[in-house]
Amino acid sequence: MLADLKDYIYHCLKCGACRIAYPEYMPICPSGERFGFDSYYAIGRVEIARALLEGRLDPDEKLARRVFTCTSCGACDEQCRPAVGNRPLQVIEELKADLVEKGYLPASLKNFLKSVHLYGNPYQKPREARGEWALGSGLEEYAGQEYLLYIGSEGCFDPRAQKIALALVAILQKSGISFGFLGSRESCDGNEVGRIGEKGLFELLAAENIKTFKDLGVSKIITLSPHSYHTFKNDYPQLGGEFEVIHYTGLVNQLIKEGRLKPQKAVKARVTYHDPCFLGRYNGDYQPAREILEAVPGVELLEMERIKRNSFCCSGGGANYFADLLGGGGEDNPARIRVREASETGAQILAVACPGCAVMLNDAPGAEGLEDRIIVRDLAEILLEAL
Amino acid sequence: MREEAGAIFRELAEIVGEDSISGDRADLIPYLQDSYTALMRKEVPYPDFVVMPGSTEQVQGVVRLANKYRMPVYPRSFGVNIAGSAIPYRGGLVLDLKRMKRILEINEDTMTAQIEPGVSWGRLRKEARKKRLDIIPIGGPYDTSPIGNFLLTNITPYSTKYPADRAVTLEAVLPNGEILRTGSQATRSGADLNPYFRYAYGPDITGLFRGSLGNYGIITKMVIRLRPLAEVEKNIYFGFDQLDPALMTMKNIERLEITRYSMLSNRYLSVHIVTPPEKLRSSQEREKVMAMLPPYQLVAGLGGRPRQVALYEEMLEEEIGRTGGRRVEFPEEIRSPLDEMTEGASQKVLRMYAPNAGFAAVIGCVPLSRVKDLNATVRQTVEKYGLTSALDGGPLDPELIVIPYDRCSTVYVEHEILYDPLDTEMVKLINGCLRECYALLVNKYGAVHTMPNKSLLRSMLPSYAGLLTGIKKMVDPNGIMMPGGPYTLEAQLPPGSQEVG
Repeated sequence: MLADLKDYIYHCLKCGACRIAYPEYMPICPSGERFGFDSYYAIGRVEIARALLEGRLDPDEKLARRVFTCTSCGACDEQCRPAVGNRPLQVIEELKADLVEKGYLPASLKNFLKSVHLYGNPYQKPREARGEWALGSGLEEYAGQEYLLYIGSEGCFDPRAQKIALALVAILQKSGISFGFLGSRESCDGNEVGRIGEKGLFELLAAENIKTFKDLGVSKIITLSPHSYHTFKNDYPQLGGEFEVIHYTGLVNQLIKEGRLKPQKAVKARVTYHDPCFLGRYNGDYQPAREILEAVPGVELLEMERIKRNSFCCSGGGANYFADLLGGGGEDNPARIRVREASETGAQILAVACPGCAVMLNDAPGAEGLEDRIIVRDLAEILLEAL
Repeated sequence: MREEAGAIFRELAEIVGEDSISGDRADLIPYLQDSYTALMRKEVPYPDFVVMPGSTEQVQGVVRLANKYRMPVYPRSFGVNIAGSAIPYRGGLVLDLKRMKRILEINEDTMTAQIEPGVSWGRLRKEARKKRLDIIPIGGPYDTSPIGNFLLTNITPYSTKYPADRAVTLEAVLPNGEILRTGSQATRSGADLNPYFRYAYGPDITGLFRGSLGNYGIITKMVIRLRPLAEVEKNIYFGFDQLDPALMTMKNIERLEITRYSMLSNRYLSVHIVTPPEKLRSSQEREKVMAMLPPYQLVAGLGGRPRQVALYEEMLEEEIGRTGGRRVEFPEEIRSPLDEMTEGASQKVLRMYAPNAGFAAVIGCVPLSRVKDLNATVRQTVEKYGLTSALDGGPLDPELIVIPYDRCSTVYVEHEILYDPLDTEMVKLINGCLRECYALLVNKYGAVHTMPNKSLLRSMLPSYAGLLTGIKKMVDPNGIMMPGGPYTLEAQLPPGSQEVG
């Protein structure tokens, strides 16, 4: 409940540290940069929470839009915690839960939740179609192999993300490890559902997934998406789902180090890496992706200014990948901001390790007129080219 | 909401575009409160709109419109606001200027930068350092605005080596809608040819805006002083068991004229700066850090060539030997946050308000010789009111900061009383304590505040107060700028505006 977070709400200094990456001194909040008013930054959302608690403001659709444009990227928390020790993200996520409970959320998010509830995915695709992306790839259904490869809704249904999923499957096949996927038995991981505060549906999805995993005897899970990785690793154990969870970058890096994957073909390109929020900021996994890139012959790794804990979100989190509440905005669009920053390093490839980031950032080079200078590729696609 | 709200919205939209205006309560509420209004329990009416102009011309358009409708205007630069100075006390328009964020120039020749209001100290510092220049230390956080700080008299003077404020020349939209340029920008070609000289054409009009808190207009561009980055830059720390010798040493080392800056503080400040906020509530952690800190600490910032800095260091050591202080070497985990805070544009400085974010500042500028007694008076008053530490309920010792102004002829003294805003009983006590402290500061020590506090206007000579308000009347005939606040040089109440409850 929001009232349980009074300490954080009333202990906001209003210093604005939540808006700026330190020590890069660059903007860090995607929705704030997109819309500008304080209500779109953590500093304003905490004030909205206080006003709701004190009855000085009534919730409505417009207010909900200010709150749900938060991508749950966690950048505000990362800045505020070492400065004054507050946790604005917790306040915002509780604010979202409060609004969901009262029925105030943007129509596109209502649609997202309804689709996940009815179809097990936000794309409104039949559950049976969930494994179709893998046809012809030689990917086996899970039947007691060492690893379960969990793909997630984007990888199963989004054409751009499907290519990344297929690249990963090819890499893992080359490594010789034993793995299988769930096909039509897979369902939404629930991370975004939980992040936007639909706690009941999240628990339902988690319970179903945990049962499926347990029934099949799954103990080790590889995820394509950092969002699945985060929720399996950190949320599911609290609901009785203890599994050994690894994001594919962690496993692939390990396989390269063990000599089971040998990137030998040169990929001659200057590459910069975008840390996905749920891999980096949420879980501290910054190095594996960089080590993979360093292992690829020909790749020159160039770093952007905002990296690791200060990575600037692509704006897809908090279900905005589906709801598109941060779309438009011209030059202030977060994906365009990120691509400009990537291009300024001189990189030809903006590498990501998240299907959501790949999709969100994919069209930004075109919108910026940089399509001849930089493209967006997933690490799996780059690595596969080198194998 | 005014009757003409629809018409005002349409006219504003023509100036700044619809996406840059909002009258939605969810967008307005974050602008209603800061730490000051929270402490004072002030209820503020909703403004009619928040507007985000992107250029001087748009600011001018909005100001002209505000005059037409007699609407109060409350500008804010980068949006960090802790002194009640940018709160829309009487509704009207909040001008959020953070979209005006260009660094227009960093000039190595004149060691200046030209910036807009939405540029932060941190960003300016980062860009300046690319050209071997730096901001003149401010001792403040990285996410505040140089223009906002100038209007607030700068966070602190912090350096005797450089002038007390950083501004050179500026461009402002006056409350009557005219555009003013100051210093060498005052001629028709000055802005383009030479905006780098403050002391041009008679009285210091740039200085008129210093500490004016928006009363005289909205600064849309400012040329600001930078300093050269030295080959070696170094902070050295001295520890003292008593305040008196620490103050004496500060005076003596400032007279050597070799430091870039100096600052004296007590360990209650340092323990907050050094300890990560999540550990601050642990008495064990605090005691561990306290044991490594001297009761009073003096930091001297040195810079120059290696031989020069070595010589300065030697001279300071000699001076310390005479006053009974000692050189202090800290482990990296202590030194690093202290250095970062001292050099300015720091995140660590925000920790001085951690972990509860409630603070009440007792600030005054006095000759150095009065500091010891003043400090004792503040501590006695705090004790008299029975204020307790929000961390452990024990006796409260305020954080102390002493910084020299202008050859150390006067020092800036700040006492921070930290509290938990959820502790309503303590808030009441603190309010009483603050009032008494300020009365003592002014009446007993002749302490000066650097801002034009409205209540102080009453104790000023009529000629002085008349000058301040007279200028205000001249440039703001309709009284639209910042009415109702604690720093307002009230000329007249705009018709239709609401009094703060």
